[in-house]
Amino acid sequence: MTEATEQFFETLPARAPQVLRAPVGGTLRIDLSDGHSTAHWVIRMRPGNAEVSQGPDEADAIWYCGVDLFERLVTGRAQALAALFRNESTYTGNVVLLLAFRRFFPPAPGTRDPREVAREHVRRAR
Amino acid sequence: MKELVSILDGNTFLVSDRRGDIEPSLDFPTGLFAFDTRFLSSWLLMLDGERLHALSIDDAESYRTRYFLVPGEPNHFLDTKVSVIRSRAIGDSFDEELTVLNHSGQEMTFTVRVEIGADFADLFEIKDTQRKQGHHTVRIEQDALRLTYRREAFHRETVVRSSAPAAVDKMGMTFSVRIGPHGEWTTRLKVSTVIYGARGEDVRTRLPLAGSRSTTAIQAEHAEFVTNAPKLGCDCEPLAGAYRRSLEDLAALRYESIALGVRLMAAGLPWFMTLFGRDSIITSLQVLPFLPEIIPPTLTMLAGLQGHRLDDFRDEEPGKILHELRYGETAGFEEQPHSPYYGSADSTPLFVILLDEYERWTGDRQLVEQLESAARAALAWIDTYGDLLGTGYLWYQTRNSRNGLENQCWKDSWDAISYSDGRLPSFPRATCEMQGYAYDAKLRGARMARLFWNDPQYADRLEREAAELKERFNRDFWLPEKEYYALALDSDGTPVDALSSNIGHLLWSGIVDESRAARVAEHLLGPRLFSGWGVRTLADDQGRYNPIGYHVGTVWPFDNSLIAWGLWKYGFRQEAGQICESILAASRYFAGRLPEAFAGYERSLTEYPVQYPTACSPQAWSAGTPLLLLRVMLGLEPEGEHLIIDPYVPHGMGRMELLDIPGRWGRVDALGRSRTREEE
Repeated sequence: MTEATEQFFETLPARAPQVLRAPVGGTLRIDLSDGHSTAHWVIRMRPGNAEVSQGPDEADAIWYCGVDLFERLVTGRAQALAALFRNESTYTGNVVLLLAFRRFFPPAPGTRDPREVAREHVRRAR
Repeated sequence: MKELVSILDGNTFLVSDRRGDIEPSLDFPTGLFAFDTRFLSSWLLMLDGERLHALSIDDAESYRTRYFLVPGEPNHFLDTKVSVIRSRAIGDSFDEELTVLNHSGQEMTFTVRVEIGADFADLFEIKDTQRKQGHHTVRIEQDALRLTYRREAFHRETVVRSSAPAAVDKMGMTFSVRIGPHGEWTTRLKVSTVIYGARGEDVRTRLPLAGSRSTTAIQAEHAEFVTNAPKLGCDCEPLAGAYRRSLEDLAALRYESIALGVRLMAAGLPWFMTLFGRDSIITSLQVLPFLPEIIPPTLTMLAGLQGHRLDDFRDEEPGKILHELRYGETAGFEEQPHSPYYGSADSTPLFVILLDEYERWTGDRQLVEQLESAARAALAWIDTYGDLLGTGYLWYQTRNSRNGLENQCWKDSWDAISYSDGRLPSFPRATCEMQGYAYDAKLRGARMARLFWNDPQYADRLEREAAELKERFNRDFWLPEKEYYALALDSDGTPVDALSSNIGHLLWSGIVDESRAARVAEHLLGPRLFSGWGVRTLADDQGRYNPIGYHVGTVWPFDNSLIAWGLWKYGFRQEAGQICESILAASRYFAGRLPEAFAGYERSLTEYPVQYPTACSPQAWSAGTPLLLLRVMLGLEPEGEHLIIDPYVPHGMGRMELLDIPGRWGRVDALGRSRTREEE
């Protein structure tokens, strides 16, 4: 398990009030595999709230993901839906939970506010 | 491109030539497609080494076609001893029944050959070919051919099975058949498309709605969809025909989303068989009085996929509603940004508008409460990331220089936004209709905040902002000398002064000052914009005008339906009626199926509407057009718990009655009839 991933899960309860605003409810299990062993992360989500635990619990949806890919997701260097479309990770169960959960992922490192970029562009053009 | 026959069920579709054959094409998507992948690129039928020719085609239904074929060129002395019936349908698989009929009095032997190939091209690789990165394999099985494509974990498969014994090779199947006098031979070919997901299962097997839908099930589903819609009785045949055709096409364009397992509306065959933010919202607005049940899944899906972070490749920002969602290889491997792509600046305000309009018709306050956070995030986007320059307007400029969209309004081709003299403005750009949508979204947001979100202060703020926006807009966009609103502002805030159909959308949004509305209406129905078949996207005296230019001179039925709605809102009933009459008259030339666009030629010049060369058909918001025009003519408007019916039927259209209009009032009927000359 990478440090970035551990840290990501640790911060979820504190971030949930900002991130989980829609009326979402259910349990998502993320099975992170490095090819030898699998870690099970369980996230119980409801509006404004996320509880994180570990273990092969029952869940409304299961997301199978490689450790490396997940590390790229939590550091903003990959995007969750594209990874599913290319079958690099797979998902079964209620998709609404994934759509809610993906909101925890950050932007790519170094991404600038588009307003800043546009205003700079206009100033330069003048 | 002409002479192609398409069948579809949801976002699985097949495009072939008049004899039912598919030959690889680089410029137009011929073949069998599902979820943006081409599963069949060759499908050729030969009899004794010869290609066949069509005597007739029965394609009355969207998901089924039957071809009657004979060998050789049919000519005057056609005296063939053999014919072939090719009967096909699309459901969860593509099924084709081949029947060879021996018309002679003797036993005959034939060699029937079907050439089969699958290139697994992504829809985006057809216009823009590139070498595929993965590898193909072909496996011969007992009476079956298995074609596979793999790129890393991405895995697609086409399996063709024959019910009759076949000699299978890597390029197809051959049947040596012996048919008795006046006898026949048949085989059923089943083409399965497989999209591998978790643990080697087809992802679609987990979808709650799809399962194995037989053609009977599809037929029943279409029938139910049409039965649930209000019944139209009218004297005007173009309207009756267009209404019927529209309902059937809308039924066929519904597909089941892989991601959410709900029924969504695809935008248009063949290029746009997927979810578009703008198209799905506008189609929903058009059909709301008729088919309200399609709207909650659309809104829920768009909210679920709402932007949540900054992503330059996808032009994504928090709160933004998506532009386009694709499932294919290029989206998965991030060669295209559609996972989803957020490059439209209007779908976000339109989302708020649809949510409010939906509640006004249906009284479904629960959905408005459920989507409160999504609607608030959309409204917040308008004033933050949407206002790129901080001037109080919605602007766009792509951050994806490789394959982002330059123009992020509905006219999204590269040359669509120009000054009157044809020059192209600098970025970012703020087109006028987007400001109208923002204004409307704020007012509708205020209504929802007050009635359902228990937040009157927020409502007051939104109304104040809307009033300020209207004032600002009427100052900055109005061209006093030309007496119309500019198409856009360029990055300096200079008006982009072309005369365009966009000003019609402003009437729909209500952002036009009362004192200027009559001038706007005159322009819309004047000779520069109005062709006789409808309002052109760009006036015919503008620098970039081209009657067959995608967004610079063609007439778009959906555009006209919104303009008619706007004219009605400002009380221009006769002008709105003129647009309804002309678009419906045009629909007659397309057997009731309005295409995406037709040419902007003067009606008196061509006497029939010329279809735009690569127009999509059926297209969801073109299919939605007759429905919205009907609403405009009957003057249907929800008011509290009631439906106001205030008909104004154009001269010569006679009687029209719409029965069982669904809404918060239960079901009601609306009747209207043309005014006589004296009454007008």
